[in-house]
Amino acid sequence: MMNVLSYQHYPIYAIMLLFLGAFLIVLFGKNRIARHCLALLSVGGSLALLCLLIPRVMLGGEIITYWLGNRSVAGGFAFGIALEVDALSLFFGLLIATAVFVACVYSIKYMEHDDNIPQYYTLFLMLAGGVMGLVLSGDLFNMFIMVEILTFAAVALTAFRNTARGALEAAFKYLVVGSIGSTCILAGTIMLYAQAHTLNFAQLSSLIPGNFNGATRVAFALLFVGFSTKAFLVPFHPLAADAHGAAPASISVLISGVLTKSGIYGIIRLAYFLFQSMDQATIRWMLVIVGSVSMFVCVTMALAQHDFKRLLAFHSISQIGYVLTAVGLSSLLGITAGLYHAMNHTIFKGLLFLAAGAVMHETGTTDLNRLGGLSKRMPHTTVLFLIGAASISGIPPFNGFASKWMIYQATYQAAVDTNNIGYLLVTIVALVTSTLTLASFVKVSQSVFFGQLPEEYKDVKEVPFGMRLGMGMFAVLCILTGLLPNLVTKYLTAPAAHAAQSAARYINSALGGSVAPAETALPEAVGAWNPINWLLLLGIALLALTFVALLGKYDRVSENASGEKLAPKYDVFFSGEKSEYSQVGGGDLFWGFKQNWRHYFSFMHDLHSGIVNDYALWAVVALALAIVFLQIVL
Amino acid sequence: MILMNYIAAFFLIVLGLYTIVTKYNLVKTVIGLSIMDYGVNLLIVSIGFNPGGTAPIFTISELNPSSFFVDPIPQALTLTSIVIGACVTAMSLALVMKIYEQYGTMDTREVRRLRG
Repeated sequence: MMNVLSYQHYPIYAIMLLFLGAFLIVLFGKNRIARHCLALLSVGGSLALLCLLIPRVMLGGEIITYWLGNRSVAGGFAFGIALEVDALSLFFGLLIATAVFVACVYSIKYMEHDDNIPQYYTLFLMLAGGVMGLVLSGDLFNMFIMVEILTFAAVALTAFRNTARGALEAAFKYLVVGSIGSTCILAGTIMLYAQAHTLNFAQLSSLIPGNFNGATRVAFALLFVGFSTKAFLVPFHPLAADAHGAAPASISVLISGVLTKSGIYGIIRLAYFLFQSMDQATIRWMLVIVGSVSMFVCVTMALAQHDFKRLLAFHSISQIGYVLTAVGLSSLLGITAGLYHAMNHTIFKGLLFLAAGAVMHETGTTDLNRLGGLSKRMPHTTVLFLIGAASISGIPPFNGFASKWMIYQATYQAAVDTNNIGYLLVTIVALVTSTLTLASFVKVSQSVFFGQLPEEYKDVKEVPFGMRLGMGMFAVLCILTGLLPNLVTKYLTAPAAHAAQSAARYINSALGGSVAPAETALPEAVGAWNPINWLLLLGIALLALTFVALLGKYDRVSENASGEKLAPKYDVFFSGEKSEYSQVGGGDLFWGFKQNWRHYFSFMHDLHSGIVNDYALWAVVALALAIVFLQIVL
Repeated sequence: MILMNYIAAFFLIVLGLYTIVTKYNLVKTVIGLSIMDYGVNLLIVSIGFNPGGTAPIFTISELNPSSFFVDPIPQALTLTSIVIGACVTAMSLALVMKIYEQYGTMDTREVRRLRG
């Protein structure tokens, strides 16, 4: 009998704490203090339990298999329902727990003025528990249940502010297409069950690979499309945009940082474990192409947006495209880069959504055309937003640079290794996307934080400390993970990447075979860079900028011999007539680019018609394509 | 005939998808979701069915290699799936009701404030 406090129990406790918290908040949530304490305790406890597993799972390479009800393997056949935690599961679990914790801290002040706050926290914790259960589970049907729980919670939370513009509509569309995705997952699960007569993930992984037939290929397609809906990959990206735009900011953090990760996790488990088909070039290309298309289409969609959160939502999917592309390369460097970017995506996207939420909280709008000049009223939020924007655009020394750099290297290396010019094109698409991302964030900072302050926002104040604390946590993580890429690789991403590549260990650990020791080799990066140098460079540039700015300020007012102040127009460098201030609207910044591409932009605008039937049709077409493609190539 | 079940199941799934894609009434969309769900449920139960098998209710002592019964796991899965399907229907109908209050229409072509 295992001791109830032994580490094998931590994964189930980490899931239970979240669901228990949700349940207790229903009972005691009327009291404000009790509600916040319960929510923080359950998410904090869950995070702490997973952190305690880092030494064993990440560094020791142990795989924790926990059989619910102690019904385990008999005669080589798995009977019970299992939780199986390897480095990959733990990596995603840690990401999720961190994002949920920060979003919870932020929610306390952010949701203060809403009605039905207990229900909000209940759903919040259900969503967190659903995703946590999904990534820690070792049972395919359990994964389906968790997918349903998280979809429900996400739909309900999207419609939470049901008077907000489009909230109900977004929730309904998400529910319809999300349900098609969930049904795909269920149908895929049951078709695998019909072939292998088991639902245990490890056992399926030992039976399915090498025994493909028509049914398993269809199951692959169904599961792939199902998990793609959860990751909002193209063609499911309009749902993400709708849902993020309408949901409260703290929920957008969860939908973009946590829910999409569950889809990516599902795809990794599906391709690397369940079917172990990543050695086939066509499957690799399938992931890389879906990723690259998502990356490019969503960034161009983002350029045309004029709603702050909708724009961020499209960027979110664009970054998920990077993750899938890198993961699809199937090299150690590629998976490490992909997971690194997945982590960074959670952090910087969380930060940006929270900053958007802060703007929304103070001004009541996220329309880029109505905002402006908030840097004077909300200086802290501005700085935090700029950190996030620099991270997502891949500017050193922030974390986006570290992971994108690795992704470029990985795609380039794939081109060199396979002598395939296609991977080189992928590198170029990734670079172009990164540039467009930067352009888009220049536009956002100009429209929201710089430029002229509209009259109606003269009295806007900085957000409460509790919200800045949440953003600050993400900002610190942004800088830390950018400055210490070697530590992150060694302790988090490389073990997870090795876990993704060693399906045999996963299977043997569950079914009682001998488990080989974990690999520990770090991926070989081609171009070395030292983030500390980049930090110094940035520091010097900032100092120089401050110096020049100060110089200008104090020199502006000159005095004549008798101490009278002269008008600045007689100064040596600062002379000239006082100019009329003219606002450069964010929408006008990339006018020429948009003009040249107007046919593409208007085509895309018409395509995203907002009619739920169209989005359902895209889902059906994607499913049909996946089924036909996999029947042919697998 | 078990083959008939499979054909019927996939027919229901495709019919559900067809309803969702082609019907412009919000309630019909919800009905389409339900039909799709029933199709999957029928598929699950059919997979667990063994022609001539008995109900899978045994004590350990009664079990022997010659006992022949239908697979109990898919039945458990179907129950779960039915419950989830009911939840989907309830939630989507609640949303439809709210949408009707706000938009004053049931036509999906007019429920498109978020687009582009």
